Amino acid sequence: MAHEWQPDFEQLVDEHQSMVFSLALRMTGDRGLAEEIAQDVFLELDRNMGKIDSPLHALYWLRRVAMSRSADALRRRKVRGMDLWVEFEESHGVRLEQKSSPLGSRLEGLLSTLPEPQRAALVLRYQEDLTPEEIAATLDAPLATVKSHLQRGLKLLRAKAEDSLKEFVRVRNS
Amino acid sequence: MDDFERDDFERELKQAFERRPAPPGLKRKVMQQRSRQRTERLRIRRVVWERLAACLVLAGVLGGAYTWHDREERRKGEAAREQVMTALRITNHALNQVKTQLAEHDRDRQE
Repeated sequence: MAHEWQPDFEQLVDEHQSMVFSLALRMTGDRGLAEEIAQDVFLELDRNMGKIDSPLHALYWLRRVAMSRSADALRRRKVRGMDLWVEFEESHGVRLEQKSSPLGSRLEGLLSTLPEPQRAALVLRYQEDLTPEEIAATLDAPLATVKSHLQRGLKLLRAKAEDSLKEFVRVRNS
Repeated sequence: MDDFERDDFERELKQAFERRPAPPGLKRKVMQQRSRQRTERLRIRRVVWERLAACLVLAGVLGGAYTWHDREERRKGEAAREQVMTALRITNHALNQVKTQLAEHDRDRQE
């Protein structure tokens, strides 16, 4: 006999805070803002707990709202004319962890230089491992648009990564 | 770039985009804020019900006062009407007496 799933708010926070925070962080490039967004997302979850009917639904809901809130935050900053592109390594004095390759440590910073729609598609693809169809459902965007953003975003990121790596090698060898 | 490099780049991306641990204290802040918001929602709900109850009581008092006033006015009106009727009856009686006396006087004169 299937028993009805009873959502436990604290358990959902434990399980998904890393995911929500990471999405917000990669979208905004700002650790402090990402933390605010993560708090808002979970508080909104609390107000909507009655609508969540399964663990999978909770995950889908959190992703969707985290991406939406992040996009709103970016738009507000744009309206206020703030400098969007904070150097990722320098944001709030937090340094990136040492990655296994010099490229890996730069990719997150380069991500923040991409247009928002491409960034969103890439974050959902490579952080959350979503298919293009799942990304389209999360972002409420047409599938063709998502595929285009993935393709262009990847191409642009690759080009920026190559330039960055060349610069890294040049500086290291000089 | 060939297929191997394309896959290799995407592997780099996957590794670079691993989920970051949430800041320490995020959960605590969320739970505290949640508790504050719930308390505030309860307080607002209580205030709304209290004000609604006060409005109903006020409406009852005003309705009762109006009804009493209306009844008082009707009662006063009835009393005034009775006085007028009494006055008319007295006047009528007096006029009838005068008429009777005049008729008797006329009869006496004719005799």
